[in-house]
Amino acid sequence: MLVNDCMTRHPILVSSTLPAAEAQRIMVEHHIRHLPVVGEGKRLLGLVTRQSLTIKPDTLASLNVWEISRFLATMTVERVMVKADQVITITPDRTAERAARIMTEHKIGCLVVVEDTRNLIVVGIVTETDLLAAFQEMLGLPTAGVRVTMRIPNRKGEFAKIASVVAAQRWGIVGVASYPARRIPDRYDVVLKITEVGPEEVQRVLQQIPDQELIDIRTVA
Amino acid sequence: MSVAQPALDTLAPPIQPKRWRENLQIILASRVATIGLALVLFWVVVGLVSIFWTPYPPNSSLFAQNQLPNSTNWLGTDHLGRDILSRLMAGTQVILLKTRLPNRDWVIPGGVALWGVLGALAFGSFLGLNAGYRGGWWDQVIMQTLDALVAFPAIVLYLVIITAFQRGDLVVIFAIALTGTPGIARLVRSLTLDIKTRDFIRAAETRGESAFYIMFREILPNARGPLLVDAMLRVGYAIFAIGTLGFLGVGLPPPDPDWGSMVNDARRYIFVFPWGVIPPSLAIASLVVGLNLFADGLREELARYQK
Amino acid sequence: MQAPIADPVRSTHASIPGPGPVLKVENLAVAYKVRGGEIEAVHEASFEIYRGESHGIVGESGCGKSTVAWAIVNFLGPNGYVKRGSITFLGQELVGKSEEELRRLRGDQIAMVFQDPMQALNPSLRIGDQMTEVLTVHRGISREEAEARCLQMLERVYMPDPANVLRRYPHQLSGGQQQRVVIAMALLNNPALLIMDEPTTALDVTVEAAVLDLIAELQRDFDTAIMFITHNLGVVARICDKVGVMYAGEMVERGTVEAIFARPQHPYTQGLLRCVPRLGMNKAESILYPIRGRVPPPNARPFGCVFAPRCDYARERCLQEKPRLRPVATGVGESVSEVRCHFAEEIDPGRWRPTLDMELPMAAATSPASPDTGEALLRIEGLRKYYRVQGNTLRDVLGLGEKRYVKAVEDVSLSVPKGITLGIVGESGCGKTTLVKTIIGLEEPSEGKMHFLGFDISNGIDKRDVRLIQELQMVFQNPDATMNPAYTVGQQIARPMLRFKTVSKQQVREEVIRLLKAMRLDASYYDRLPRQLSGGEKQRVGIARALASRPDLILCDEPVSALDVSVQAAILNLLLEVQRQFGTTLIFIAHDLSVVRFFSDYVAVMYLGQIVEIGPAEAIYAPPYHPYTEALLSAVPIPDPKAQQKRIRLEGTVPSALNPPGGCRFHTRCPRRHLLPDGGRICETETPPWRDAGQGHRIFCHLPLAILRTLDPVLTTPSHEA
Repeated sequence: MLVNDCMTRHPILVSSTLPAAEAQRIMVEHHIRHLPVVGEGKRLLGLVTRQSLTIKPDTLASLNVWEISRFLATMTVERVMVKADQVITITPDRTAERAARIMTEHKIGCLVVVEDTRNLIVVGIVTETDLLAAFQEMLGLPTAGVRVTMRIPNRKGEFAKIASVVAAQRWGIVGVASYPARRIPDRYDVVLKITEVGPEEVQRVLQQIPDQELIDIRTVA
Repeated sequence: MSVAQPALDTLAPPIQPKRWRENLQIILASRVATIGLALVLFWVVVGLVSIFWTPYPPNSSLFAQNQLPNSTNWLGTDHLGRDILSRLMAGTQVILLKTRLPNRDWVIPGGVALWGVLGALAFGSFLGLNAGYRGGWWDQVIMQTLDALVAFPAIVLYLVIITAFQRGDLVVIFAIALTGTPGIARLVRSLTLDIKTRDFIRAAETRGESAFYIMFREILPNARGPLLVDAMLRVGYAIFAIGTLGFLGVGLPPPDPDWGSMVNDARRYIFVFPWGVIPPSLAIASLVVGLNLFADGLREELARYQK
Repeated sequence: MQAPIADPVRSTHASIPGPGPVLKVENLAVAYKVRGGEIEAVHEASFEIYRGESHGIVGESGCGKSTVAWAIVNFLGPNGYVKRGSITFLGQELVGKSEEELRRLRGDQIAMVFQDPMQALNPSLRIGDQMTEVLTVHRGISREEAEARCLQMLERVYMPDPANVLRRYPHQLSGGQQQRVVIAMALLNNPALLIMDEPTTALDVTVEAAVLDLIAELQRDFDTAIMFITHNLGVVARICDKVGVMYAGEMVERGTVEAIFARPQHPYTQGLLRCVPRLGMNKAESILYPIRGRVPPPNARPFGCVFAPRCDYARERCLQEKPRLRPVATGVGESVSEVRCHFAEEIDPGRWRPTLDMELPMAAATSPASPDTGEALLRIEGLRKYYRVQGNTLRDVLGLGEKRYVKAVEDVSLSVPKGITLGIVGESGCGKTTLVKTIIGLEEPSEGKMHFLGFDISNGIDKRDVRLIQELQMVFQNPDATMNPAYTVGQQIARPMLRFKTVSKQQVREEVIRLLKAMRLDASYYDRLPRQLSGGEKQRVGIARALASRPDLILCDEPVSALDVSVQAAILNLLLEVQRQFGTTLIFIAHDLSVVRFFSDYVAVMYLGQIVEIGPAEAIYAPPYHPYTEALLSAVPIPDPKAQQKRIRLEGTVPSALNPPGGCRFHTRCPRRHLLPDGGRICETETPPWRDAGQGHRIFCHLPLAILRTLDPVLTTPSHEA
């Protein structure tokens, strides 16, 4: 899956002259945490996050009651946003896992997706939510079916066994994932989502695969 | 309109006053057209009044020469001691209200400018309709001939016509009609080219109607609006032309006053008595501007109305 | 085996709570200031469009569809303004925004496609310059890169030979290609919202089908929200996910496309669906039910429910109280439609019966004589009509150049029996109008014979006898041009009577009024001027005028295509009634295949000046088809989202009639050529034979009938619940 397939296209974009209070309202109303700030031609100027809208206590302390309201009224997005050169961006042709990697490395919740790395034209954003949604899809949500976890040896041809058994039964697989088994060396756990079939039948068929172990099976919607 | 149905034959007439009122509303909706109409109406009224009454007889020298405006002569007197106001009022007649036939004392209603433009309308519409509707060789021959006519400066044409014939109201009318024809023909042709593509013309053709019926009964009534506006402008030009001819001394024959000759007469004394040229010049200008404003306003309003 | 990971339904966004709508319009009212007050063109419209969703706005002309679109992009002109309500685009209120901000939004995030592509293209700039400008000016992209992107985008919209197109001027492209360029331009900026205002209305059906396919595909790829304005219910059914029905400035119903078509809740929506002919309906078995009355003008809308005066279910409450848009369960899945009707739950469209005052044709038309046995009223043999083209070179001007001709009608033979309706279908430029003009005598044939009632009419109208002229009359397409604006209705209908002396002078008035009554117009119309009539009324007068000379044959050139659907049904019924009452024979030209199928006994399909298939209507619309007929049928938008239609799209454009392809004229685009041995080499060289499929059904094709018969029917409709 590429960023192009999991990003949110046409995100809400704001201009740099928007009052910060208005930006806050948009974020609350639409349940979002990031607002890319763009200029002419959707060129990235910066990013507003919920953190950037919090006023630092020492700034607050230095203002008296009258000044606070004026301070808030005149504050525009431009003054609170993270400037474009500090915003971390990605292009739509990178992979989803690469996006996840960047986000975990920098401990941030959002990447602005840009086309044309020189002019930084915003085409979408990838947030944690988008990646979690992609994760769900990879595991076959929202289609209902049987979710089964097989523990297989780390050997070539083991996965093919499962695939050929499933193919022989003419079942459909809507989600696949695999990861190294926890605390057990040289084993991999494979999660499969199989549709239009009952769990008993799946269990009966998959248990017969030699060298593999069925460790979990459940019906999920 | 749920009143008891009147006898069918009497249904048609009541439409007319309603249409007039509608038209009046269109004019009044535009400030420009209203001002224009007021100016024109002012001069028409002045002309009508002058037929029955002028402060003094316009052609008799009753006063001292070259007087500035004073309490007896509101607009002063000219080089022969005639009252300028009276002459100015009477001068409206030849332009807008009456045409003198040669050799007799007969007069027909409608001024020289009006008849001239009417003549141009008649010739121009006929030629334009034929050129536009029939197309092909008709179009080529008619339009090329008219273009050749346009190639002569209008003033040269006037002079040629008037020297070829004699001075006289009819000759001036003819000159105005001839110089106005190409413009109107071109306008009618372009309108015809547009109108003839409409389906109701196809319908007439499928009835096997004659070309003349289609041109004059189907097309011409629909060209009315723009044609009217154009004619209005042309009356303005015609007044200018009459003034020009009068100024050149070949305009309408004396002794009746016309504004152009008045300017011409006064011009000769312009260094001695500059006032003399002002009232007739202003009269010409105001009437022409009035007609132009009226035509412009009407055109704008008609265009908006049609949408 | 089916692809294992195969759930192509776009369910991802349904499962995960996505962000808010791209566009949200709430209680919008738009007014125009005019002389003596203001006109509220849109009174109350509310809807929202999400990412990747296409939302249709349907309604008849003058109901405010386009005004809503213009309000969104602030194109209302100097005298229009948003009176009430809000327009929220991606979380930001548009109403009250400054001109500058709106302009930037429009450029960057909202794009618009109009009916006439030339409105969006600058005729004096090359396509390439116009397209690259979008990128270079606002985004500072270099020219070379911008050009590459434009080329890519043109390929994306399946423009043939895109590199060449970039170097051309707009007028050098066909209408369909122009529209593709406009769509490509709109997508260059990757807009969040694409507003399309009747984008395919001016296009031929086969081109329309291709453009609609393209729009559907782009919508998936770019995740763009599309607001699709149209009057064509078939187009809506093909392309939209949700539909809003507008009537007299109000949104009266809104729901998913399936619900709207299967279970319309508002009486207006129900009425609309009853008055469009579906492909396959014919006049013998089904009736079109027009909606009575007409759309009220914006300054005279009723106080209560706007639809009440035309509604069959209207009660006291409808006149007193304005209904609000409220949700009603439709019974189609779990979908809920929003309906502006007090009594939506109580109305059962299945139990609807036409009211007595409705205009319906009396009885089903009796089955007419077949073209072989019946007495032929009109017989045409080998008709050709060529137009000489004047070249621009010096040689041409001097008359030395090669003489070139537009072959508008090529070798047409047909015979029309008395009392039937012959439908002629084909795309624009196929020569159907020229054929009709030649029959009526407005054009003289270049070659061939025409006989009418046994008389030779192979000459122009000025050489025909008055009696003969009288027997052939015509009904025209454009209601606004069919009547002379300078004369009253009465004068115009009376003219043919006076000219042909069908009635004495004293009786003319009486006779005109009788005809008006037959057209369901009362005597007060006699003194009205055309500008006081609605489009449908003008068309009725046009029919009355054609009937006034009591002709035997009336040629109808697209008589209903410029009318709204509810009016269209009434006019079709009227023509049926006329035919029944006066026994008139009709030749009916139309581009709408459903209308032709409904209305005609016989149908001729024309392509590039030739008839390619002719026969009884039911035979034309079922296999064996001519490959061109098959393609036409598969392109017709069907007002039924459940209908299964074969997808055949013609490639390329119609060749020029100046230099038509040799052999079979359709061979350059024929999708069935490969069925012949040798890939259909024969089609390029030899004129195809007429294949007789019986009952007067003939097909002009090299493919033998045996193969043509094996082709599947284009349309299979799941059986309709009554």
